[in-house]
Amino acid sequence: MIVTGSSPWAAAEALGTSVPELAAFQDEPPQMKSGTVGKTGYLRLGFETRGSRTILAILERRVPYLAQRALYCDQEMPGLASIFLITTTGCLLQGDRLALDIQLGRGAQAHVTSQSATKIHGMDTNYAAQTQAITLAEDAYLEFIPDPIIPHRHARFVSNTQICVAPSATLLLSEILRPGRKHHHPDECFGATIVSLSVAAARPDSRILFREKLVIEPERFAMRQTGVMNTYDVLGNVILCTPPDKADRIFEQVDSDIRLTDGVAFGVCRLPNGAGLIYKVLGRDTAQVKAKVREFWRIVRKEVTGADLPPPFLWR
Amino acid sequence: MSMNMNDRHMSTESLTMDDAVTKDRVAALARMLQFGDSMFPIGGFSFSSGLESAVQKGVVTDVSTLLAFTRTATEQAARGDGIAVIAAHRAAMVGDVKELICIDESVYARKLSDEARTMSVRMGKKFAEMGVHVLGAPLLHAWRDCILTGQGPGCYPVALAVNFAVQDLSEHHTFAVHQYGVAAPILGAALRLMKVSHLDTQKILYELSEDLDAAYERAAKTRLMDMSGYAPLMDILAAVHIKAHVRLFMN
Repeated sequence: MIVTGSSPWAAAEALGTSVPELAAFQDEPPQMKSGTVGKTGYLRLGFETRGSRTILAILERRVPYLAQRALYCDQEMPGLASIFLITTTGCLLQGDRLALDIQLGRGAQAHVTSQSATKIHGMDTNYAAQTQAITLAEDAYLEFIPDPIIPHRHARFVSNTQICVAPSATLLLSEILRPGRKHHHPDECFGATIVSLSVAAARPDSRILFREKLVIEPERFAMRQTGVMNTYDVLGNVILCTPPDKADRIFEQVDSDIRLTDGVAFGVCRLPNGAGLIYKVLGRDTAQVKAKVREFWRIVRKEVTGADLPPPFLWR
Repeated sequence: MSMNMNDRHMSTESLTMDDAVTKDRVAALARMLQFGDSMFPIGGFSFSSGLESAVQKGVVTDVSTLLAFTRTATEQAARGDGIAVIAAHRAAMVGDVKELICIDESVYARKLSDEARTMSVRMGKKFAEMGVHVLGAPLLHAWRDCILTGQGPGCYPVALAVNFAVQDLSEHHTFAVHQYGVAAPILGAALRLMKVSHLDTQKILYELSEDLDAAYERAAKTRLMDMSGYAPLMDILAAVHIKAHVRLFMN
């Protein structure tokens, strides 16, 4: 995705003009134009091992994207570098572009999360776009578990994640998508105009592992339809890239069930080409979905690193 | 007088041409029915596409939820595999085997549930073999050999498109047959899984066909890389089925 001879965030700027679902929304905002300083953020995080721990060896940033420094706050994995992603504008507005580039060297271990939920504001021109490139060398281990995305009504958002993962590395990538601020306004539940989330994974030799492109257009496809969301509101979509032997052991420990009365449904499947697993959760509330994602995360961490999860923060 | 004779002569000729066209059309229609039949022996009837779990878990309980479930399945197909069907048909029309392999790989990489992959690959391989046996066209041989030598996984949408392209059946027809092939086995499974009548399932099938033209128009304009979907509960149903102990169907 990176275009040579141009800025490292060029992919984020190009993404929205290339996808058909945003073709109708190419007009520029009457406020600050897209791509101006302060509207296109870039963050590059490079993790490497030094002795018994992983350090943040590379940090490049451009407002509104920001990361400060690696913290070592995980008592169960003292060498794990934890990073909080910050967007200084606090939300995504029309014309915003974000580009994130995460690289883990051989054997590096990191946990990346966001400071809070990502709100995507309502839009009457243009859209917000995000690209994420995640590259893991052999034996690297990354937990990328940001807080939920909240698309407000009339939001237009496109995200593209490119994963390049070495056969022995493990990537746990979680995304929680809320239906909007459902208690704020009756039109807020699935009120976004478009939310497009795509993930493509490959090996370092370019061999394709899997692709997923979720396109949510509530005005075109009914969200409450049987098989889509039914009565559920929140989606958790968790991708686990890990070697087949670990994937098999994790698969055996994870349950799949639909509990209509409890308002929760979850299930795990094996990804194609021996890439790992995909775990999906539906719930009425974010807390239910977060709890199921945490359960899965706990099994993954134990199986891959041997470590437990620290107790959850009270306010997260 | 001579004008009249001329007229008569012309009308006879055009009548013969019409006859030939009609014969061609009838033969094409018969072949579409043959290869698009839900009982065509490629095993489509042993898959329920998640309906078995949906009935067990109380997601599909009656005619209206069955209609909605089947509609979700056909909508997902039109936004995903249906685009690959059209792309593969276009590649097959110009005999581009390399492109067919790329399309096949793209379809396979997007099948994120084990059983959906099994279904697509199993049906695709059998369909390719059946095409070689019945039609024997060179492209069908080439495609079957690609599957046998492991150059492509051999997903069903590609096999269907190659088969229809060598018979000169249009991409629009191929798309329609593919959509029918998604709905019909689910409704066939419904008869065995839940309390629903033949009358109701036929009515649902008829109703879903109304969306076909609009779905084709959209799919025909969409790039292969923009194959998409959104049916999380369907995905979870597929996962539940993998772990289920009592199973009548293979997905």
